[in-house]
Amino acid sequence: MKRAVNITEIKSARTADSYYKIDHPSGLTVFVYPKEGYKSSYAIIGTRYGSVNTCFSLDGGEKITVPDGIAHYLEHKLFESEDGDAFARYAETGASANAYTSFEKTCYLFSCTDRFDDSLQILLDFVQSPYFTAETVAKEQGIIGQEIKMYDDSPDWRVMFNMLESMYHNHPVKIDIAGTVESIAEITAEKLYDCYNTFYNLNNMVLCAAGNVTVEQVTAICDKMLKPCEKHTIESFFEDEPYEIVKPYVEQSFPVSVPIFNLGFKERADRPLNERELAQTDILLEMIGSSTSELYQQMMDDGLINSSFTFELFEGPGYRAVIFGGESRAPRQAAEAIKQYISRLKSEGLDREDFETAKKAVYGDVISSLNSVSSIANMVSGFWFNGNDIAAYTDAVAEADFDGVQKRLADMLDVGNCTLSVVKNGEEQHGV
Amino acid sequence: MSNIVRSRLADGVVFNTVRDSRFKTMEIEASIILPLSAESAPVNALLAFVLSRTCREYPTHRLLCKKLSGLYGAELSASVAKAGDRHIIGLCARGIDDRYALDGESIAEQLSLLLCRVIFDPNITDGGFPDDETEQSRRQLLDLIDSEFNEKRTYAISKMIGIMCADETFGVKRYGTAEQVKAVTSAQLYEAWQSMLKTAEFQIMYVGDSAPDKAVSVFAKAFESVGRAPVSVSTQVIRQADGVKRVTEEMELSQSKLVMGFRAGTALPEDVTAVRLMCAVLGGTANSKLFCNVREKQSLCYYCAARYDKYKGLVLIDSGVEADNAERLEAGIMKEIEDMQNGNITDFELEATKLAVINAYYSSNDTTSGINAWYSSQMFDGAMRSIDEMAAKVNAVTKEEVVEAAKRLSLDTVYLLTGR
Repeated sequence: MKRAVNITEIKSARTADSYYKIDHPSGLTVFVYPKEGYKSSYAIIGTRYGSVNTCFSLDGGEKITVPDGIAHYLEHKLFESEDGDAFARYAETGASANAYTSFEKTCYLFSCTDRFDDSLQILLDFVQSPYFTAETVAKEQGIIGQEIKMYDDSPDWRVMFNMLESMYHNHPVKIDIAGTVESIAEITAEKLYDCYNTFYNLNNMVLCAAGNVTVEQVTAICDKMLKPCEKHTIESFFEDEPYEIVKPYVEQSFPVSVPIFNLGFKERADRPLNERELAQTDILLEMIGSSTSELYQQMMDDGLINSSFTFELFEGPGYRAVIFGGESRAPRQAAEAIKQYISRLKSEGLDREDFETAKKAVYGDVISSLNSVSSIANMVSGFWFNGNDIAAYTDAVAEADFDGVQKRLADMLDVGNCTLSVVKNGEEQHGV
Repeated sequence: MSNIVRSRLADGVVFNTVRDSRFKTMEIEASIILPLSAESAPVNALLAFVLSRTCREYPTHRLLCKKLSGLYGAELSASVAKAGDRHIIGLCARGIDDRYALDGESIAEQLSLLLCRVIFDPNITDGGFPDDETEQSRRQLLDLIDSEFNEKRTYAISKMIGIMCADETFGVKRYGTAEQVKAVTSAQLYEAWQSMLKTAEFQIMYVGDSAPDKAVSVFAKAFESVGRAPVSVSTQVIRQADGVKRVTEEMELSQSKLVMGFRAGTALPEDVTAVRLMCAVLGGTANSKLFCNVREKQSLCYYCAARYDKYKGLVLIDSGVEADNAERLEAGIMKEIEDMQNGNITDFELEATKLAVINAYYSSNDTTSGINAWYSSQMFDGAMRSIDEMAAKVNAVTKEEVVEAAKRLSLDTVYLLTGR
């Protein structure tokens, strides 16, 4: 039976691309982004459920609290069904499949150059078919335990979580996505079902297919595979989070030869930024931290940073921060230089020429990322999670004005509310 | 498949063009191929970074960066790699395609010319590169060398190769050692640049929509004034391990890293299709023997992967494991290899691996960097094959050939970085 489907075409004159948004009757939001002349396709389905959603209720029922790391554990276990695992099924179509869990979402994806329909059926089938037993849950403890330990040894990972712990008093964003060896020991099949039944509701999910695909193809498979979901009220609970950071400095001793730092500015996060604010923020951060900025060049000349220097806007439900980081032989001085530069920009104002250069660079980044099917699908679905749209964002970058960016600077990057996290060798510097 | 057009600009200089209108970006990369040696590695590595920072027209790094940002955030980057006993300096410029520029300028042409300038027309004063830019590059390179230690998986693999190939050219690290980099003089750097222009083999790869005519003529003209005397390089291949070397290192870590190095018995210019497939069946996909048995059935690890180096003829297997389980893991890996050597490969395993490998091949054709990598990885194969041709070769491999490839594996080195 063919069901009524609401399809909207979104055209972008700037990118010369068109894509489609489908409100599928099952409750799922579906995006299709065809790329002419491509042989490959990529599909990703995601739920608005990540590591931070550890306390929740369904339809106003009782509050359920689950162990840290359970969203990630669920992601691993969803690949298994009663008659084998999804990887073995993908093996027959040749698709390359994967999944990931982040703070605010869990996504399952595949890429292929043949038999897209079959692979999409596998994806939609296993995501709708949980199968958790005491045995299958126990088997994963060793594997995920090693995944956690691998991250424990990653200085980049440690420096970020130490920073988040020193920045957030209560928000679960400070807890490792995979949890701990102890917390995952408490995970049971029943708890996995609680989480699954709450968050893996199609109304809480998005599917995006990009590449060698058509709207007809994707809707036909959705019609066939998707089991309609009733709309429920899902509520996640977070303890009140003060505006202020916990402490301004944290340090961990670790076997590294070049120290690593993260400097995080805690921002107010009552709601996600919209496309215009996002464009302004991206241009502003480009002006501050990119390789053309005066700050970057000065820190390079002074030997405070190297080419590993990065900056990012980090946001999700109830948290937002701007993070500068990288390797540094003098992390405290690097942090001081960044703070001073921001203070100076705030008092003296931004430079118009820098603004024009940064705007072009950010615009070029967006255009470049609309090339590969994986980055398209990830961006389109990623914007949806925050209630935004990629075409509107592209326009917002092209149309951004100087005053708007100047105003954004006034509203963020409070140099009195940031945390410096450093990972360095406790003993002598390690030679290699 | 996007077709490649190859034209010879000078002795040992090839300009490769792939024109494709599907993309929003273009890229042009010069791969500069030199012999690998302990003496020249640090000099050439430093040269790569020095060249990518400035040129006569943009004499400071900030000016060059500004130029690139103004070209919609274009990039100019340097890379240093090894392909067997070859040392490859890569200088690559990437940007958006002309059609997407807001004010109609030609980005592809400007980037191609810029790439030519950084190679041929650097900012030379008093017979050398400017000291401040050289020191800046040196500091960055020293940090790069040191930071390898930060990521323990990379560190362990590099350590294993160093032990396995200690007496071979391939054992030379791509950046050289920190001490060597510190000792590189300005005169050596200048000399290396001059020598590179004369003796290196150049493979220039252009992927983009518009025709690179201007770039071709500018590069051709630049090479005219250079007395070319290209040096060709071959790689020493050791086919069979002579006993097993074992090294264990202790460190303050949560997880131990096990890296096993095998001689594959096959390397370029021989046909490597069967070895590559054998390696993928063993540990290249989520359906591989190592993933299904060592990870999924025995729950020993999160990752356990096998990779094949076709230039040097090595197979590397690496995994992260609980210190107490390292022996079990090694035995588990060896058991999977013995299984393959005994012919225990199902049709499903073989066919699924072929599908996965071919799927990855075709996917690479849908990005500019994928196309660049596809052809660049064949620079020393003797011929540049299309994906269709390569897929046909993969499909023609029989189970017997995979078993034969597995039988040629001989364990050379086991390195264990163990947690305390």
